[in-house]
Amino acid sequence: MAGSLSLLRRLYLSLYNWVVFIGWFQVLYLAVKTLLESGHEEVYNAVERPLQFAQSAAFLEILHGLVGLVRSPITATLPQISSRLFLIWGILWSFPEVQSHVLVSSLVISWSITEIIRYSFYGMKESLGFSPSWLQWLRYSTFILLYPIGISSEVGLTYLALPHIKSSEKYCIRMPNTWNFSLEYFNVAVIAIAFYIPGSPHLYWYMLGQRKKVLAKSKAE
Amino acid sequence: MKVTVVTRSGKELFKGGLELSDSATVADLQEEIHKRSKKFYPSRQRLTLPVQPGSKEKAVVLTSKKSLKDYYSGNSNNLTVVFKDLGPQVEYRTLFFFENCAYYWSFAALMSYYVNHPLYTPVSDLQMKIGFGFGIINQIANFYCHILLRNLRSPDGSGGYQIPRGFLFNIVTCANYTTEIYQWLGFNIATQTVAGYLFAVVAASIMTNWALVKHRRLKKLFDGKDGRPKYPRRWVILPPFL
Repeated sequence: MAGSLSLLRRLYLSLYNWVVFIGWFQVLYLAVKTLLESGHEEVYNAVERPLQFAQSAAFLEILHGLVGLVRSPITATLPQISSRLFLIWGILWSFPEVQSHVLVSSLVISWSITEIIRYSFYGMKESLGFSPSWLQWLRYSTFILLYPIGISSEVGLTYLALPHIKSSEKYCIRMPNTWNFSLEYFNVAVIAIAFYIPGSPHLYWYMLGQRKKVLAKSKAE
Repeated sequence: MKVTVVTRSGKELFKGGLELSDSATVADLQEEIHKRSKKFYPSRQRLTLPVQPGSKEKAVVLTSKKSLKDYYSGNSNNLTVVFKDLGPQVEYRTLFFFENCAYYWSFAALMSYYVNHPLYTPVSDLQMKIGFGFGIINQIANFYCHILLRNLRSPDGSGGYQIPRGFLFNIVTCANYTTEIYQWLGFNIATQTVAGYLFAVVAASIMTNWALVKHRRLKKLFDGKDGRPKYPRRWVILPPFL
């Protein structure tokens, strides 16, 4: 019984990782193709659906961590996924005014390269039981360049959206109401930007530490 | 006796070692180290017995109350201890106080912003009275729970756990948390704000966490063996859920 459960787990996780891998591959392909053929203003329109699909599927990863299907602590995955979903739905989808900005291209390309590497890494581990050392090297090295690019794009796009957030009053809840609650979405966006100040160096530092550990281990093997 | 204090890399911290009386305690040693090096106050010192290189044993940590005699095999009048600097120490109590204050004051500010807002919409008079009435009853019950808990402490302050008894403790392990949760529920029924309910949910989950730990600890301690009483079956914090 235990054997077939762990087999089922491997099958499910393999399927999950490879499907999302294909999603992100699609995003990268469409982004680069559109960038070269039509210019950065058209990139968002081209990638919108596969991007929303691939990133929102990551929500499942929170469940995987909660039910113990994977070992990753949700304290690490939750902030990462929240910031991604905030960007995709809370900024890009909600405020079309920023969709034509060049930062969308840098955002989408840096995210998709990172995710393609990550999901194929985990996909191989689940389906083949191991992943090749060059893929592991990529996983623990490309972040050095891609994280700063991605983070700058995230903060940049949120900052560019601020005046539109303020003037549109979208997602704002005003008093009076029976539940005595109010929400100023502008403040939410500002706080989100503020989180990047301690959050980014911490995440980067953590990944550097992981890199040292993992690559030293594989060198010893 | 002579005590040689070395760092973890083997270097002697005080050339020639320290001279202490044969009946000295570890606390005396820590004081002597502090005297010789002002920076290293006792709570910053971690003193262990040296471990054989290659041995997988965990180092024996010297506890301040014990006497130094307990730690050496007694063949020479010389004891070697390994010193580690734990860095500047903040008392746990201080840190806890800070975090506690920040938590309470932040939530209080958030809740009072809405309750005192010029556009605050009050609930019906009846609902307000029911809410506050229920809240006050639980507040009084909570106070009584804390009196009972305080009386559990032995008069000489020797610490150690007792099985709480009486009043709601006969049904629930952490009746004090239970009454507090219901008290906040009453407050929220009376004031009806999202912020208030949010606070109540956060407070309830923190207290539930603590209650589970306390319950587990009491059950483990009072296992019915060696003449100890067995911990009776009780709800942890919120019957019939937990």
